[in-house]
Amino acid sequence: MNTIGQPVSRVDGRLKVTGGARYTADIPIEGVVHAAIVHSTIANGRTVSIHTMAAENAPGVLAVFTHRNMPRMNPTPKPWSHLHPHGQSYLPLQDEQIHYAGQPIALVVAHTLDQAIYAGRLIKVNYEIHPAVVFGPHTTKEAVQPPRFLWPVASLVGDAEKGIATAAVKIEQTYTTADRHHNPMEPHATIAAWEPDGTLTLYDTTQHIFGTRELVSMVLGIPQEKINVIAQFLGGGFGCKGYVWPHTLLAALAAKVLNRPVQVQLTRAQLYSMVGHQPATVQTIALGATRDGKLTGIRHDSISPTAVFDNYIEYAALCPRSLWAAGEGIWTNHKIVHVNRNTPTALRAPHEAVGHFALESAMDELAYATGIDPVELRLLNDTEIDPDTGRPFSTRALRKCLTEGAARFGWNKRTPEPRSMREGRYLVGQGMAGAIYTHWRWPAKARVTVRADGSALVEAGTHDLGTGTYTVMQQVAADTLGLPLEKVTVRIGDTRLPKSHASIGSATLANAGASIMLAAKAIRDKAIQLAMTGRDALFADAARDDVIVSDGRLVFAKKNLDITYSELLARNDLSSLTGDGDYDPAAEGPKATFSFSAVFAEVHVDPEFGLVRLNRFVGAYDCGRIINPKTARSQAIGGITWGIGQALLEKSETDPAMGRFLNRNYSGYLVPTSADIPELDVLFVGDFDEEASPIGVKGLGELTSVSVAPAIANAVYHATGTRIRHLPIMVEDLL
Amino acid sequence: MHPFTFSRTTDPATAIAAHAQDPYLAFIAGGTDLIGLMKDHAALPERLLDISGLPAMARIEALPDGGLRIGALARMSDVAADVEVRRRFPVIAESLLFAASGQLRNMASMGGNIMQRTRCTYFRDEDDLPCNKRRPGSGCAALYGLNRLHAIFGWSDDCVATNPSDVAVAFAALDANVIVQGPRGERSITFTEFHRLPGNTPERDNVLERGDLIISIEIPPRIEGRASYYLKLRDRQSYEFALVSAAAAVAMDGRRIRSARVAMGGVAHKPWRLTAAEAALPGVSLDDIEALKAAIATSFIDARPLAHNGFKVELGQRVALRALQVAGGRA
Repeated sequence: MNTIGQPVSRVDGRLKVTGGARYTADIPIEGVVHAAIVHSTIANGRTVSIHTMAAENAPGVLAVFTHRNMPRMNPTPKPWSHLHPHGQSYLPLQDEQIHYAGQPIALVVAHTLDQAIYAGRLIKVNYEIHPAVVFGPHTTKEAVQPPRFLWPVASLVGDAEKGIATAAVKIEQTYTTADRHHNPMEPHATIAAWEPDGTLTLYDTTQHIFGTRELVSMVLGIPQEKINVIAQFLGGGFGCKGYVWPHTLLAALAAKVLNRPVQVQLTRAQLYSMVGHQPATVQTIALGATRDGKLTGIRHDSISPTAVFDNYIEYAALCPRSLWAAGEGIWTNHKIVHVNRNTPTALRAPHEAVGHFALESAMDELAYATGIDPVELRLLNDTEIDPDTGRPFSTRALRKCLTEGAARFGWNKRTPEPRSMREGRYLVGQGMAGAIYTHWRWPAKARVTVRADGSALVEAGTHDLGTGTYTVMQQVAADTLGLPLEKVTVRIGDTRLPKSHASIGSATLANAGASIMLAAKAIRDKAIQLAMTGRDALFADAARDDVIVSDGRLVFAKKNLDITYSELLARNDLSSLTGDGDYDPAAEGPKATFSFSAVFAEVHVDPEFGLVRLNRFVGAYDCGRIINPKTARSQAIGGITWGIGQALLEKSETDPAMGRFLNRNYSGYLVPTSADIPELDVLFVGDFDEEASPIGVKGLGELTSVSVAPAIANAVYHATGTRIRHLPIMVEDLL
Repeated sequence: MHPFTFSRTTDPATAIAAHAQDPYLAFIAGGTDLIGLMKDHAALPERLLDISGLPAMARIEALPDGGLRIGALARMSDVAADVEVRRRFPVIAESLLFAASGQLRNMASMGGNIMQRTRCTYFRDEDDLPCNKRRPGSGCAALYGLNRLHAIFGWSDDCVATNPSDVAVAFAALDANVIVQGPRGERSITFTEFHRLPGNTPERDNVLERGDLIISIEIPPRIEGRASYYLKLRDRQSYEFALVSAAAAVAMDGRRIRSARVAMGGVAHKPWRLTAAEAALPGVSLDDIEALKAAIATSFIDARPLAHNGFKVELGQRVALRALQVAGGRA
């Protein structure tokens, strides 16, 4: 039976709810000792003196490291780039400089974590304090053009300015988004254990085991073959576990010096300064259009802050390059401001979820300026050719997203005038937005082994962030081999397995999944070959295509013959069959490949209190073929919830004088609770996309958090007549 | 966490004596606030004395005169679910249900609830930021920092934090009494006198002295009790402190207010009673929105908003108005 397309429940569900799934910090390692990081309380300056004696003498303490005694690390290549596995180029405990609040300045190792944390508080630091440089109106003036690190920093197709200047209808506005943090349930942790032969094992909360291996190899100057990285379960990642951050390097070096396993775990507050964040943006967008709603030009500029030592760019102005057609042209550009904070990083739907707030809010403003329905306006500006590259799209079911999403939502019952819909005391608002999301194509390897008992083992160095990787990979392998699901075991999260890519960018199923399919297919082909030509050649008369696999058997239907994998192996005196999958796509194919969506939000606004509550939400997604509608829906409702947080709650507050993030916990940084989330209605409208992946899927997880915020902001405008051009939307905005 | 010892007692006199003579000892019951503060280094007791086993202090008693006596060790969830509490003083049950989370309400004691530290983001930060409440004399970072969630009434240059308790707002409106046993015997503290304004000693949230043990909270019979309502406005719908909240209780003559009790949360270092409004409300019809607004406004004349919380002045009046309307509708 085919399991692809079936709503299979996650295979690791029971393990997780019974505590059987071991997360990094829970892995028992004999002789492990615990490290706590002490961080700077100032944002800019240097440490003049660090007094460690009280900490060294505290109960249970084994060692205290500062820049004075931490071994030197090899610098990573400059310029720093996010294509590289290093979260930031600045290495911890190497000098006395302070570049951001919450920067590691000491590491205390003790027998227990409590002892280490307590001793850390006994360390007294004298600082030379310089004024903190923070992101704000006075520093955005100093924004500079950064070097490229992912896509081109600027883009120009055609003559955007002409398209805007000569347009009959113009929209030009500035939109801002807030600094945000990832806040995974599981804080980052690393356990470093050195073997006598010099092998280093790192149990690490990472979305990129091979990246950790590569970076640690480089910084510590030991060969990659001498490093194993293990991450079998993650309690959420959302991007902040996609790169290597200081704690992993500190754990590895401390364990080396002390010659015993060291475990380091960040506190909740340290997650706000040590593992990246999404930077705020100030985006100015101009749209030009004809009176009947055809876009003639788009200009989109974004400014975002980065660390003083790295040139991270939040590519907020990426989305208009390929989402809508604009007759005369499209211009986009990014600038950055160097301030005292650690290097920003990808946060669930990096770039796109930030940029779509500006683009799709502006499109709503254009809809009102032209009097054209927002769905109709988007249908009018849909395109079959990627405006940025001139290539056709591999698949683009955006029209279907728009029309089927609108139908499911009941968009035709909406009256367009602001404040025209009410329910009791509440103003009702309905808003929508479209979205495009980059699809990533990365190399991945996998190995599948069918054993004498007819069971299969899938091995791939990929990751499960909590998304259902174990489950969907099992489905892909089982269907390819024609095995029942329960006959397939999946092993991931270990660098001793075939090399796979980072689990970022919603790319795991399309790429790692493809490698597993190819490995399983290799076995299937070998098995069929064996049945045709091996001992006794049972299927000797068969043509290759006559044989199918099903329910653990190879079936030659024409002759009414079949044989199980197990029988086939026994007959040929084989203990197992192994297949390797080596998926090696070109980074860019002949076609432009993206995921798409259209999302629809209904809000209730209490006009006296300015209180916005999401009442219902419909999302229609084109992310290619759906392998598992249940885990896919779970991804979608998680992504929508994430977007609701972006729209209405999430903001990392910076104290302007101290230059530090303030609300560094779940009490101060608000993420949605169940009570904030209404019923979320999810539709998948995409088709098999061969260009995107041999298994036909496109990225899903991050797409679903894109454009939630502009849909809600547009709904708020429809409800109240007040256009909010910043996130999150707060009660005081609507009083 | 700072090292500490932990012991239990079942004898109130022992608890009181221990607390009176040991400045580094703290009582612990549910621990839902104290443990968090200890993790943030905002509370550093060296000895914890668990008083959750003290006898007969978890009772919820409906008194024959129409009042209530709530033992200091009663759990928030039990009080919220109590039939007589809900019948006699809905405002108490509602304020409890809007507080914290289900898990916390199952652990937290009523005495502990009203002992919650008056707080702000700066106070809670594990890095020991300038905060007079945390380290007297270190300054108030919130005064010129981020103060959206802070006080608009009664603050001083030394502290602009707000009290987080919801049920305390209801107790303040109802003029409950806190029954305290101390080294010199038992006394009763009027609820509006229980919490303090910050002045130049913001490290003290309330008037309790060393050795004081809260025994119970007594709510006298109130003609306004049944027509009472708690309205809490917050950025998210669950597990979040109030931006602004209001406890309103009224006695009506037809559609006219005979007497009203209104207190607000999220606006001051303590539950903030709208005394002027209460004096202006009798005789006002619930249908006369302008008169209701005018009466409420008398309590907001002395509002002093900070840089980021100006909206609380208008929002507070709207919340008070809605709370009064709903409470009145229950009469």
